[in-house]
Amino acid sequence: MNGKKLIPPGLVYLADNITAKQNILGTAKKEGARWAQDLNLPPKAETVFFAGCGYQYSSQLESLMSLIRMMDRSAVGAELPMRLAALPRKLGADLAGLYGKVSARGSYADIQPLIAAAKVLSNLGVKFGYLAEDEPCCGAPLYYIGLHKDFAHNARKAYQKLKSSGVKRVIGIVPSCTYALRNLFPLFIDEYDLEVRHFTEVVLANISGRKLNFPRKVKVTYHDPCQLGRYLEIIDEPRQILSAINNIELIEAEGTSGEWSTCCGGGGGFEAVFPELSQILATNRARELAETGAQIIVTQCPGCIMQLKSSLKELKADSVEILDLAQVVAMAMET
Amino acid sequence: MSAFSDYKKELMAAARNERIRLALSRAIKSYRANTDKALKKFPHTIKMAEEVREIKEKATQEMARLAEQASGAIEENKGNAYIAKTAADALNIIAELVGSNKLIVKGKSMTGEEIGLREHLEEKGNDVYETDLGEFILQKLGAKPMHITSPAIHVPREDVAQLFARITEVELTSDIEELVATARKLLRDKFCQADIGISGANVVASDTGTLFLIENEGNIRLATGFPPVHIALVGMEKLVPTLNDAYKTTEVTWRYANYIVPSYVSLVSGPSKTGDIEKVTTYGVHGPKEFHVIFLDDGRTELAKHPILRQALYCLRCGGCLYECPTFAVTAGHFGDKYFAGIGAIWAAMISQDVEKAASIAYTCLTCGRCKVRCPVKIDIPETIIELRKLIAEGDKRD
Repeated sequence: MNGKKLIPPGLVYLADNITAKQNILGTAKKEGARWAQDLNLPPKAETVFFAGCGYQYSSQLESLMSLIRMMDRSAVGAELPMRLAALPRKLGADLAGLYGKVSARGSYADIQPLIAAAKVLSNLGVKFGYLAEDEPCCGAPLYYIGLHKDFAHNARKAYQKLKSSGVKRVIGIVPSCTYALRNLFPLFIDEYDLEVRHFTEVVLANISGRKLNFPRKVKVTYHDPCQLGRYLEIIDEPRQILSAINNIELIEAEGTSGEWSTCCGGGGGFEAVFPELSQILATNRARELAETGAQIIVTQCPGCIMQLKSSLKELKADSVEILDLAQVVAMAMET
Repeated sequence: MSAFSDYKKELMAAARNERIRLALSRAIKSYRANTDKALKKFPHTIKMAEEVREIKEKATQEMARLAEQASGAIEENKGNAYIAKTAADALNIIAELVGSNKLIVKGKSMTGEEIGLREHLEEKGNDVYETDLGEFILQKLGAKPMHITSPAIHVPREDVAQLFARITEVELTSDIEELVATARKLLRDKFCQADIGISGANVVASDTGTLFLIENEGNIRLATGFPPVHIALVGMEKLVPTLNDAYKTTEVTWRYANYIVPSYVSLVSGPSKTGDIEKVTTYGVHGPKEFHVIFLDDGRTELAKHPILRQALYCLRCGGCLYECPTFAVTAGHFGDKYFAGIGAIWAAMISQDVEKAASIAYTCLTCGRCKVRCPVKIDIPETIIELRKLIAEGDKRD
């Protein structure tokens, strides 16, 4: 077959960033690690919390995506948005960082799920560290783009980095990173021996007997991210956690929950290639979730959160809140 | 990248079209409700589907042998069987059997669509009527099917009324019953007058050479029963070893195509015959005197060798995955080529050998995996898509 020229340019952009800068946006690594600066997490530990790119760069990603969508909608053709994205990189400018600063709205809010997750784990007595700017990128988009040699190379490097930091166990939070570390790395690394669990599994294992009260009575629906539900098969766990919290009434989206969950339209770099279509799909999903009558949509994926947040605005359903499960649990622990 | 740009433009035009979205959202709702009901009424189907997966896995590995066996059985039944290595071979065989200036009634066939059979026969000077109502509408509109079991899924009734009014030169309301009656009237004579009937097949039993044809309208019964000649074009992936295997595969197919039971399943093994006068077997009584079956390879035996991509050959064409695809829900068959949505990319790459088209479809797939949950034979479409992307991005040994 014909090789790299058939890969849509948006994906080439993501791939280049991962291989060159170890994160999907090609931004500076220490930017991403800022969320944890006040948490005093040990930089070395046998069990580490793996924050991943998605949440760490979500405010920058959001700004970049809204720019890409605007360009895509303005009928300038299919590839232009990503050429535009590549241009400043060629000139040496940090586009993502730049737009992050320009919009500068709520970048603090976007990293709340990470802070909440770390607090929840500490509160449950889980001992863990955080590698901060030494955390390697899992490189998952390379795998989905089809660049398996690059993915394998990146995976081996990442594995070595984790091993040399003395890591034995990983607690993942981004579904895609967790799936990559748990299911994809072993395909490319002989005698892979990291124990990888998702945040949800760790929480559920340590939560029994805890009193959890959400600060107010709410109706909640849960959106299963594709990689967490269908790929990692973590479907019951988040529901068990939500059901263990007082004041929360869980309502399911009829016919589209669990393994039947509808994708938010952000799967596998799709939003970088088809920004407008991706938004249409996100709006369809947001509608299904909003129709449950829930006041809060709980999910656990930075991609899903970003997609659903912007479509709720479009649906003028701003009264519906979107929270990460980690935030919900953290709030329920405070009261 | 211009092929991709064109594709994206077409895809986005579809995605912005509210009518497609409306038609699809209704179809999806009723598909899910019907399938749930059918599976609840006959819960054994789920277990049977697992068996069918095994049947297909094995059959795919011995397609060439099964094609030989089925051909032998059909010849023994006094039919004629042909194995076409390529699409061009299949078209030549059929064109030779048909000749020109013939009136042909045709049942819906995805394999026919795959090789452009109708267009080819029209070019040879034949008058070809699609008889499946959806296909008939599309033929008259000059449009392409947008779903494998409901080809005209994206055409609202008002458009059908307009179209039929133009053909009949009679004012028509958009009352669906009236539209269906009009189609019946338009096609009725064609069945009787046709020189040749053409069909596909959903499943073929290799031991007896029996074609299984699932339908609801009755057009396939008429098209394969009324004219003096019946020609069937069948992809080799439709072959299973025994009648019993074929029955199971057929039942699972229709149930996941949202039917408790379809109105008709025809089993055709040979030409029409009688021995009623002095026990002398004579062919062509009420049904066709000639029965021809063309088994099409065109890359299928090659595809069967690929450890991951060969799953595409297990496909029963029930159409279930399409109803679960979030992208298909807003674009219909514009997300696809001859076959639609994610799995369409594998067919485009390996059978139609259109790598650019295949890449465009492959990179449109969300790899969200809901299709796999629906698929009766559990084809891991995301896995095949990612494998195909690997072949596209990193090149293939065959380069």
